[in-house]
Amino acid sequence: MLDPYILQQLAIGLSLGMIYALMAIGFTLIFGVLNVVNFAHGEIYTIGAFAGLMVISVFGPPLLVVLFIALATGALAGFGLERLAFRPFRRFSDEASLKSRAMREATLMSSLAMSIIAREAMEMIFGSQFQSVDLAYLINKPIGIGPITIVNGDLIIFGITVVMLGGLQWLLKKSPVGLSIRAVSNNALGAKYCGINTDRTIIITFVIGSAMGALAGILVGLYYGAIFPSMGFTPGIKAFVAMVMGGLSSIPGAVISAIILGLSESLSTSFMSSVWSDMVAYAFLLLTLIFFPQGLFGARRERV
Amino acid sequence: MSNILEIKKLSLKIGIQDILHDISVTVPQQGIVSVLGANGVGKTSLMRCISGIYHPTGGQILLEGEDISKLKSHQIVDRGIMQAPEGRQIFSNMSVLENLIIGGGPLGRQELDHVLALFPRLEERLKQQAGSMSGGEQQMLCIGRALMRKPKVLLLDEPSLGLAPRLVGFICDLVSKIRSEGYAVLLVEQNVKAALRISDMAAVIEHGKIVIEGDAKALSNDPRVAEAYLGGHVHESA
Ligand SMILES: Nc1ncnc2c1ncn2[C@@H]1O[C@H](COP(=O)(O)OP(=O)(O)O)[C@@H](O)[C@H]1O
Ligand SMILES: [Mg+2]
Repeated sequence: MLDPYILQQLAIGLSLGMIYALMAIGFTLIFGVLNVVNFAHGEIYTIGAFAGLMVISVFGPPLLVVLFIALATGALAGFGLERLAFRPFRRFSDEASLKSRAMREATLMSSLAMSIIAREAMEMIFGSQFQSVDLAYLINKPIGIGPITIVNGDLIIFGITVVMLGGLQWLLKKSPVGLSIRAVSNNALGAKYCGINTDRTIIITFVIGSAMGALAGILVGLYYGAIFPSMGFTPGIKAFVAMVMGGLSSIPGAVISAIILGLSESLSTSFMSSVWSDMVAYAFLLLTLIFFPQGLFGARRERV
Repeated sequence: MSNILEIKKLSLKIGIQDILHDISVTVPQQGIVSVLGANGVGKTSLMRCISGIYHPTGGQILLEGEDISKLKSHQIVDRGIMQAPEGRQIFSNMSVLENLIIGGGPLGRQELDHVLALFPRLEERLKQQAGSMSGGEQQMLCIGRALMRKPKVLLLDEPSLGLAPRLVGFICDLVSKIRSEGYAVLLVEQNVKAALRISDMAAVIEHGKIVIEGDAKALSNDPRVAEAYLGGHVHESA
């Protein structure tokens, strides 16, 4: 029988991992279609949390509505982000320019710029301190299961993430939109020859990825009861690490890596100060880059 | 016979480089027209202009009278032009079936039985990852994918490249068969003999210009055609 403390840490770690997974999917999808890293993904997470906070304080709707608003706001923010920071750099359509290094570097800077603008704007509007969330909305009600105590947020996060992952998997494998996303990821020029509107597919990818990132933001905000303009930074880094560990463009790889990361971080607190638990992610990143440059799960197979 | 595709005085510049100059080619309904020429003369660039991957700097591309030269690639596919491009550009990480369905676009699997009847080899490999097939099979997939959309005009960019002689024969027979089903085909080839045998009309490009054109039968006996491939210059005699 496992020590109850360990079991409890595992439950918390699983929630953490699921959140990283939701974030990592956005990174991974976008990396798949454009070969670029979206540096503003962490801010999308924050925007999701603030959108939820605002509807809570203005309308006080049921939790599901709050989550939905955060999701929708993330989708909208993803759309705007693509238009402002990515589309302008995509003027040529032969295979050399579609996923070129020049575009990678340009959008790296433009998405970083967008993230700084978004964060500063939120600080100007809301201030940089923690925002208090209406207690009724917090998802930290304890639930005893045998010897351990988890909170209802653990169940909610687990349930929602499983639904989102299942939905995404269905979308990518069965729907025409998903086929287009995978086609563009696999061969953008080939997708053009097949009549796929690549610009529209890229927007849809940003919309889906950002919606999931924003949902992760509001879930964490309600789980910890802390919403603030720089809250997206750390999870953004963790999700980035999960993407790299997963092999850059494999969704299953990123999800599994995110969960491994969450569990390890959570367990690490049982033998070292929690202040240091962020180091776990960096250690994983270094080890992956040194020993598994193709990701933990071997050479790249299917990209999305 | 009326013309389904008319390319009029097309020119293309990339940067300061003149890639194509005053190219005019006409493809009749249910006809096969070949564009021939040595490596690097601009054949693929021409095909890319028609598919909207490159945008020509001058001239027109008329599909049933409508100028499509400024449309985007997906709009051109919607109008009825599909290409089996150079380098095949298949989705190598996806299954053969998924490749075909993506090719079908809004038609989905409607044409699947027809395409599989043309390429029985693909039927055995529907679940297989496309990139794991042999070069010949990938070429079949590339052409089959284009046919899934039931295009009005099929563009083939060097379908015989890198194939064993037996497969070149298969592809030639296939192109003739596709034509007899009512498709118009614009074929780019370096395999002059094979291309001229199945074509109605042909044009030879050299340095981005058409230097010889005419009836395919006549061209197959024209010594200037062979010369163009050996790097000889035909301007004087053209
Ligand atoms: N995107 C591009 N940028 C610069 N040069 C190009 C580009 N595409 C084609 N070219 C040039 O155009 C010429 C013709 O190329 P291409 O159309 O591929 O010839 P072909 O298919 O007849 O072998 C070549 O000199 C090639 O270098
Ligand atoms: Mg070529």
